[in-house]
Order: sequence, then C-alpha cells, then structure tokens
Amino acid sequence: MIKISGLTKYYGGITAVNDLSFEIKEGEVFGLLGPNGAGKTTTIKMLTTLSRPDAGSYMIDGFDVVKDPYEIKSRIGVMPQENNLDRELTAYENLLIYGMLHGVKDMKKKITDTLKTIDLWERRDSVVSGLSGGMQRRLLLARAFLPEPSILFLDEPTVGLDPQMRRHIWDIIRKTRVEGRTVVITTHYIEEAEALCDRVGILSKGSLIALDTPDNLKAAVGRYVVEFLDGDGRLIQRICKNYNNARKVTKIVRERGKGVIRRRSNLEDVFVKLTGERIEREGLSETEKGIL
Amino acid sequence: MRQNWYPIFLREMLLFRKRLLRLGYLFSAMLVPIIYLIAFGLGLGRSVQLQGSSYLTFLIPGLVAMTSMNNSYTWVASSLNLNRLYFKGFQIFIQAPISPSAIMVGEVLAGMVKGLFASLLIIIVGFLTPSGFSVTPLFVITLLLNCFLFANLGVVTGMLAKSHEDTATYSNFFIMPMAFFSGTFFPLDKVPAFIKPIIYILPLTHANIVIRKAAMDQEGLISFAVLIICSIAFFVYGSRLIKNYTE
Repeated sequence: MIKISGLTKYYGGITAVNDLSFEIKEGEVFGLLGPNGAGKTTTIKMLTTLSRPDAGSYMIDGFDVVKDPYEIKSRIGVMPQENNLDRELTAYENLLIYGMLHGVKDMKKKITDTLKTIDLWERRDSVVSGLSGGMQRRLLLARAFLPEPSILFLDEPTVGLDPQMRRHIWDIIRKTRVEGRTVVITTHYIEEAEALCDRVGILSKGSLIALDTPDNLKAAVGRYVVEFLDGDGRLIQRICKNYNNARKVTKIVRERGKGVIRRRSNLEDVFVKLTGERIEREGLSETEKGIL
Repeated sequence: MRQNWYPIFLREMLLFRKRLLRLGYLFSAMLVPIIYLIAFGLGLGRSVQLQGSSYLTFLIPGLVAMTSMNNSYTWVASSLNLNRLYFKGFQIFIQAPISPSAIMVGEVLAGMVKGLFASLLIIIVGFLTPSGFSVTPLFVITLLLNCFLFANLGVVTGMLAKSHEDTATYSNFFIMPMAFFSGTFFPLDKVPAFIKPIIYILPLTHANIVIRKAAMDQEGLISFAVLIICSIAFFVYGSRLIKNYTE
C-alpha cells in the first residue's frame, strides 16, 4: 500500500505540488489526471525517489522514502515520460543493464521473454536510436516490468502513440493488473484513465481537487451533459446533476431555436468541470443558471 | 546488492567499446599528447638538457601523467553530465536499489579504464622514442592512483555542472592550467618562489613528482599521501553529491 501525506514540492518561488495526501491500495490501477503543469510529473518524480519532497512523507508497505529508500526502490518500476533509454546501446543491452541494476535473476530468459512479448526480439541487437518511436516506448515500458516490481509508475505511457499502439499498451497494463500489481498512471488522455483506472485523482495547480472512482466522480459532478452552440458559434457543454435537469436545459435551448444534444457524461466532462477550463458561464439567463 | 557497482561500469564499457570502433576516438585521444611530444620533445627538446639527461626522458612520464588525468577526468565528467542533464539515463541509477557509492565506484572504474587506455598509447609511443623510458612498479601505481583521483574529480564536476558548457569551463579553469604548470613540461625548481605554493596545491604536481621517481623517498611519500588524500576527499564529496541528487 502506498501512503502519501502532506507531500509538497517548491521550484523557485512556485509551489509545484501542494500538500498532497492520499492512499493507493494494493492491486489497484490509480490514475493521476490533470492539465499540463498540474504537477503530475513532479508527483511521480517524488514517488519514484528522483525528487526530494520539501515537506510531507511517503511510504510504501510501511517503509519511509527518506529512512528506507532502498526498500522503496526495490519495489518500484518506472516508465518515465521522457525517453531515457541509452540510445547508443541495443535493445538487449538496455534491458540487461536495467535488470542488473535491479538484481534480476535468470536474466537471459527474462529478457528474451520480455523482448518477445513486445515484438522486439527480432530487433534485439539494433541500437535504440535506430528503433521507431513506438518501439522505443514499448521498450521503455517493458524495461519497467523486467524486475517484476510490485508497483509500477507509468508517466504518460501512451503519449504520442497511434491508436493501435495505445490499445496494445493498455492491454499490457490490464494484464499486469490481473497479475495483482499496483499501477500508478499519469495521463492527460481522459479516455485512457476511463479505460484503465479503478480510481482517479484529479490534480489542478499542484493540489488534489477530487479523488474517487470514475463512476462516483460522474455521479457527484453530473450524469448528463447538454451541448449546444451559442450565438458566437462556441460549443457550450452543460453538466447536469440528473436527467430532469438535463431535460429542462434541453427544453430552454430548444425554445431558442438552437440545435441541442443531450448525452451521458464522461470523465472528460468531470475533468473539465473540476479543473475549471472551457466552462463558459455566458449565454445563459439567470433562470438557466438557477437550473444548473 | 546495494554495493552492486558492476552494471554502472558495464554500461560505460559497452558505450566505450562502441566508441573505440569509431576511428575518430583513438585518433583524438592520441592527438594532443603526440602534438606536445613532437613540439616540445623533438622540436624544443633537442637543444635542452635537463638534470643531465635528455629532455625527452623528462617529458614522457609527464605526458603520461597528463594524459591519464585528461582522459580519466574528461570522459567521466562529460558522459555523466550528458547522461544526467540531456539523456536522463542517470535517473535509472538513482531509482535502482543501489547505494550512491556504488554509482560512484562504477563510474570511477570506467573512467580509470579510459584513462589507462589513453595512457597506454602514450607509453607505447614513449618506448618508440630514444628516451630510455622505462616502466617501474612505482610508475604503474602512481598512474593508477592518478587515474583514480581524476576520475573521482570527473564525477564531482559531472554532478555539479549545470550544463554541458559548464563542464568545458571547469576543464579550462582547472585541468588546462594543471596540465601546463604541474611539472609536465618543465621541472618545478625553475619556477619563481612566489608561485610555488599554488603549484603545490595542484594534485597533478604530486603525480608528476612520484611518477618520475626511480625509487620511493621522503618527498615521494609526501606527494603520494597528497594524492591519496585528494582521491578520498573527491570520492566522499562525489558520493555525497549523488546521494543528495534531486530533480
């Protein structure tokens, strides 16, 4: 179990992460969501011992990151957002060095299995700089798995990948959850969080503003969304608590002679509402605001 | 497990092997000392007699010390710096369950191999010149210690430098002057008295003193002690910098 309390990080005069407290249960896939610059990567860097918190504490299975860093390090595997493979070394050599650093036993077999799983066995002796972007990302992910860590940290695992590759990586992550591993993912692709995560925490400006299952978040923020275009052609999306509210809003918009769509809310609507972006208040009368 | 320095060392060696296969590396490692050898040794040195023997006899051990310093230091400093700031591969060392001193040992041993390799090239050239140059056990021990010392210093600058340009600045301010004023090219008894204290602070001076000795004496022992103390100090400081690493 991961226990985080009061975790804080400053950069210069800016508070990158502010007083973060939450727990991640064993075996769950936990998502950290947030717009760019919300503090996701800073949080992951603190959780993976790269960055020292300025305040607060962080524990895995009762081991404290400051007192027992080795206990933490021997439990985690990390896929960083920035590719930090050795570009001049081959795919095989990259896995070999990483495996040795983590004391992996039965190395040859494990590397062979790993490279076959990610379809890179044929390319094992190619230097990394000669591999395509998608191959490098797969290798980066596979490297994190190699020591069979009990907790995996994946920082934006599918950024910049085509839809097929993204689904391929999602499958790998789902498989690891079945194996009972804890997975912590940061992403700004909402559908990724919705597809994978048992619970999500939403970060905004370094603070945690919501934390729950995707379903509970939708229930709390609103199950329905009414979409229409305002006078300037901007898309307005209204989240409504329940079906009755959604119907009322739909009716008002329709009476103005505008096209309107009513649909179920998704995690993106929740995210947008909570992080306060793209939410427009204009274009509605006071009564409409009252309904919302 | 925590003292598992081997993967760090192995990684550097794999990279080094790739570099060796590129011809440019060998050439550039040898270029500077050979230029010095030709310019000072054969050009200037023909008309100079030092301590009763030829200038080449004096120069070659100094060139070996200088080359071992340059190569041990520069390769460690610049590859660590690049790996930390640019390629970010240093992150996987920090995230691995190994101690800061294991990272230190792996990087330093790799730096020593690179320094010894370049020194070996100069030693071979030394044997080819008519200088009566010979390799004693004391020479080998001093060479190893010098490589160790400057590889440690390389880790220190590699960790401290905030950019790759910084590494070059450190090199220009400390390594370059040391190459010229530490008794590589001329004996220190010819140096004005007021500069001497500065020169005796520089570690390379002491490497040059010991590496030229036929047998250990009191002066040699003091210099040897200075080299060991500097090495330990840089090792401890470098390990500390790695321990306090934070992004």
